[in-house]
Amino acid sequence: MKYVAVTACPTGIAHTYMAAEALMLAAAEAKVDMKVETRGSVGVENELTAKDISDADIVIIAADTNVPKDRFAGKKLIEVSVSEAIKDAAALIAKAKSASVFMGKLSESVDDIKSERSFNRKGPYKHLMSGVSFMIPFVTAGGILIALSFIFGIEAFKEEGSLAAALMTIGGGSAFALMIPIFAGYISYSIADRPGLVPGMVGGMLASSIGAGFLGGIIAGFLAGYTVEFLKKHIKLPKSMSGLMPVLVLPVLSSLIVGLLMIYIIGGPASSINVGMSNWLSSMSGVNSILLGLIIGLMMAFDMGGPVNKAAYTFGVGTLVAGQTSMVMAAVMAAGMVPPLGVALATVIAKNKFNKEEKEAGKAAWALGASFITEGAIPFAAGDPIRVIPSIMAGAAVTGALSMLFKSGLAVPHGGIFVLLIPGAVSNLFMYIVSIAVGTVVTAGALTLLKKKVA
Amino acid sequence: MIKELLTENLVIGDLKATSKKEAILEMVERLDVNGKLVDKKMYLEAVLKREEEHTTGIGMGIAIPHGKTNAVKIPALVFARSEEGVEFDSMDGSPAHLLFMVAVPESANQEHLKILGLVSRKLMNKDIREKLMKSMTYEEVIAVLS
Repeated sequence: MKYVAVTACPTGIAHTYMAAEALMLAAAEAKVDMKVETRGSVGVENELTAKDISDADIVIIAADTNVPKDRFAGKKLIEVSVSEAIKDAAALIAKAKSASVFMGKLSESVDDIKSERSFNRKGPYKHLMSGVSFMIPFVTAGGILIALSFIFGIEAFKEEGSLAAALMTIGGGSAFALMIPIFAGYISYSIADRPGLVPGMVGGMLASSIGAGFLGGIIAGFLAGYTVEFLKKHIKLPKSMSGLMPVLVLPVLSSLIVGLLMIYIIGGPASSINVGMSNWLSSMSGVNSILLGLIIGLMMAFDMGGPVNKAAYTFGVGTLVAGQTSMVMAAVMAAGMVPPLGVALATVIAKNKFNKEEKEAGKAAWALGASFITEGAIPFAAGDPIRVIPSIMAGAAVTGALSMLFKSGLAVPHGGIFVLLIPGAVSNLFMYIVSIAVGTVVTAGALTLLKKKVA
Repeated sequence: MIKELLTENLVIGDLKATSKKEAILEMVERLDVNGKLVDKKMYLEAVLKREEEHTTGIGMGIAIPHGKTNAVKIPALVFARSEEGVEFDSMDGSPAHLLFMVAVPESANQEHLKILGLVSRKLMNKDIREKLMKSMTYEEVIAVLS
């Protein structure tokens, strides 16, 4: 296996050469052929010739500055920051083997490539993904534990002291409660480093408590990160007091600012959206039931736990009368199962559009969707809201409408697949399952169409 | 020659500082006392600004704070050794034991930049790092880096 690499850093004094040396050492260790071009402040050294490149199987670019890439068109190419090569060159060499082929600027203009790359690497997208990747394990841990509690019966957790109650407290009361704070916290951490964590998590916690859901969490995370950045830049303390910045000044001020904004600016709209949506839904009781199912589906999938979703869910629960099945409740649950199921299916059929982490999260999403834990789709939606939210809304809407069309009914407020098997809990069971399946396929199809390939 | 950059008084065999800020200050002070800087404050700012962009604590116990600015009179390299380790926000989270501070003017001479490149390369070798950890005197440090 033949490798060529290019290293470069902004100052061009040290990192460039350290990365080059690290790659050479790791290549010798791995017994692969390696030639490294360094682009430091001395200029280009050990320049790769056309022959070097044509002989090479794999190209590694470890740089924090722009490196001309056109000459590598048609080669497997991986691009990382210079520090990644210094930190673990061996892993980088191994990872590069599965890099995708760099197509050059044949199809896209140079500017497109540039702006997209810098957006992917540095911009808001990077911060969002950082939050998502820290959130995913909380979603899976919480979701699976909640699902386990359902095994003991759908309402078993209501009995204090029981194992089912403990599972619900661990999964729902703790892991899920941390989900949005962790998400917002690490968005902010990605923007502003350590000082960003505190206001991010506090803001995320507030997003949860004011019912603003994960969309509120995104707002909290970015708000917190940029607030800290702003404070860092504009607060100048005398040297003798500069130690107070990270322990006192930044955490207190940033939490205060973010907290107040969340409560007074974001909290208001979030709760009025919730109230408005609830009122609107109840005013529609006379409307065509299929249309109602469609609207409920759209709402369930829109913010998954936020004010809109809660309005629909509460509306559904409100239609339950003891011992009878409700068509609205059935539509609510079916639509709520679709987002995680749809993304799970999409990770299977469109493997190249999800990163490794997402594919793993996709496996858990099957279980969460089946248990009517809509939150299972949040990591996907949070990472790419503009493409994912419409896709899951489409699927959930189809399911909601179909469930109404088939006049399926549900007698309990939760439980997913666990209640389908209870006699009498669901009416028109077979068509109910069909509605869920169709919506799942719609969502997966939409995601496959809309999502971009992962580079 | 490395000796041109790393002159006799620029080896700190036993760094006292334990925090990043103190360590940088101690090394900048050493440069200033030895007449390598035009403007100490300006150089310090350049170094701190570079750290703010991204820490130069590259892991493996190494940190290479550096500044390329006209506040530097004579290109120089400070080597400091810390038995205890300095908390340097390193990329691998471990404290820095071997600290190299680089000072070069905007228009640095190619020869000097090449030397710095070579020193950087050497630091990636484990046995060089181990030898540096054992080097107490100027002569020993020069011997390892030459």
